[in-house]
Amino acid sequence: MDTRVTLSKRFQYAAIALIVVGAAVMAYGFITHPERAWANLLLNNYYFLSLSIGASFFMALQHISQSGWSSMFKRVPEAMMAYIPYAGIIMLLLYFGMHSLYHWTHEEAIAGDALIQHKAPYLNIPFFFIRLILFFMAWTIMTRLIRKASLDEDKYGGMLYFEKSELLSKIHIFLLAITFSFATFDWIMSIDVHWFSTIFSLRNFVAAFYHGTAVMVLFIIILHQKGFFPALNKSHLLDFSRYIFMLSIVWGYFTFSQFMLIWYANIPEETAYFYERWHSGFKVIFYVNFFINWFLPFTLMLSQVTNKNIHIVKALAIVLIIGQYIDLYEQIFPTILHAPVFGLIEIGFFAGFAGLFVLIFGKALASADLIPKNHPYLEESLHHHLH
Amino acid sequence: MNKTRIIGVFDEENTLMAAVNQVKKEGIEINEIYTPYPIHEVIEAMGKKTRFTFAAFLFGFFGSAGVLAFLYYTSVIDWPINYGGKPTNAFPSFIVVTIILTILTVTLASLFTFSARSAIFPGKVYDLPDKRSTDDKFVIVFDKPTVQSGTDKLNAILHEQGALEVYEKELNLKN
Repeated sequence: MDTRVTLSKRFQYAAIALIVVGAAVMAYGFITHPERAWANLLLNNYYFLSLSIGASFFMALQHISQSGWSSMFKRVPEAMMAYIPYAGIIMLLLYFGMHSLYHWTHEEAIAGDALIQHKAPYLNIPFFFIRLILFFMAWTIMTRLIRKASLDEDKYGGMLYFEKSELLSKIHIFLLAITFSFATFDWIMSIDVHWFSTIFSLRNFVAAFYHGTAVMVLFIIILHQKGFFPALNKSHLLDFSRYIFMLSIVWGYFTFSQFMLIWYANIPEETAYFYERWHSGFKVIFYVNFFINWFLPFTLMLSQVTNKNIHIVKALAIVLIIGQYIDLYEQIFPTILHAPVFGLIEIGFFAGFAGLFVLIFGKALASADLIPKNHPYLEESLHHHLH
Repeated sequence: MNKTRIIGVFDEENTLMAAVNQVKKEGIEINEIYTPYPIHEVIEAMGKKTRFTFAAFLFGFFGSAGVLAFLYYTSVIDWPINYGGKPTNAFPSFIVVTIILTILTVTLASLFTFSARSAIFPGKVYDLPDKRSTDDKFVIVFDKPTVQSGTDKLNAILHEQGALEVYEKELNLKN
């Protein structure tokens, strides 16, 4: 069996073609509809960043809990993390689009608005980018260190790197809890500058974890169907499905909590958020969001029969790719564009970013052995059996 | 039925399972297995299937539907009150109560179903073949074969698979 994934020329050309098409559409978008293009850039970059963050959190959890069952798959979330530095560079481009996205960057808006003035010490362009750079530095350094420990384990073996991974993972989730919270406040919540929600960062973090895990499962299933991971069995699938099932519940819980408390308290400065999202055609998205991200996975993953069916899990993971897009669309688009738009620009942006993400993922996956050699729990993972 | 049984006592889950598989291969019928904690392989090996999860699903489904219907009846049909200008059918605020009451319904209904199905009630006197199966031993019970050679063979298999002890006892079991 091949221990390494080799990227076929076809795969690379397809990914590059997606990037080229995406870049052409992006150029067209920025010329014709700059506001819409910036919203798309933010959405798509955050989208794929959230998958990386989710995968890195999944992997950190496996290290901290010393999970045996998942150890043979750890290269997949590791490869997904490789996108983080690229996302950082693209996120820096927001500097040129701040006025299109964030109301609080407008001088005249600040002048007549006590609330924005009050928030100005935190929400100002220099500090925004200082934070942005700090967040990405923290994530890049931590994920690089974890990846390095994992590769060193392959090279030298022994328990040292296993323990090192656990320690690094603890630091990583601690940093992630703080930095990712502020990152969601900065990039997404500050679009609606007058509005705030204390559960917002948690909700978005769970969404990232949820969809990151779903996409990771999709990659693993595709690799399995291509002949890699021959040891993947029903027990692994059941564990992955349980992750998706559990996360769909947590996602639904947080998302509904945020909505229900605002709906029930009925305070104008809070309800304004959902007012935007319930008018001019956005209300459909509100319901579709709950349907795709909560109802569908929840009902589908109730039974062990569907949990262990690789085709159903794969189809669900593909649907959840759309789920995260809809979730972010609902958060980003209403305030910036005021009316639902979806067309060539949206598809082109997504295609471009998807191509970039898959290419970086593939390159990172091909640069190391697919199955870690010296992980102490590898045997347990290969013969994982649930009752 | 009151009959003579052969009882094998094991120390570990995997020695028990090895014995169960060996005995099944020889075509000897197992009467009952007692373990300190539930082991799914034992249920499978005995050829039994549990419909308990499906029952729990039904409790949950009808539980949540019932709670929602109850909330709708009390706050919309029977006694509508205006809270802060909200519609009387304040569906989002029903959800929290529904979740909590569904959990309670499923828990209690499952407890009663399980108790009724396995005839357990407070104050029941247990007639266990070997009391150590509530502690740390795994106990397997066979009907004593009618011929002596069968008994010897069973004894040999159980000892070979690592049974701590094998003994005979008059027991009154369901079958």
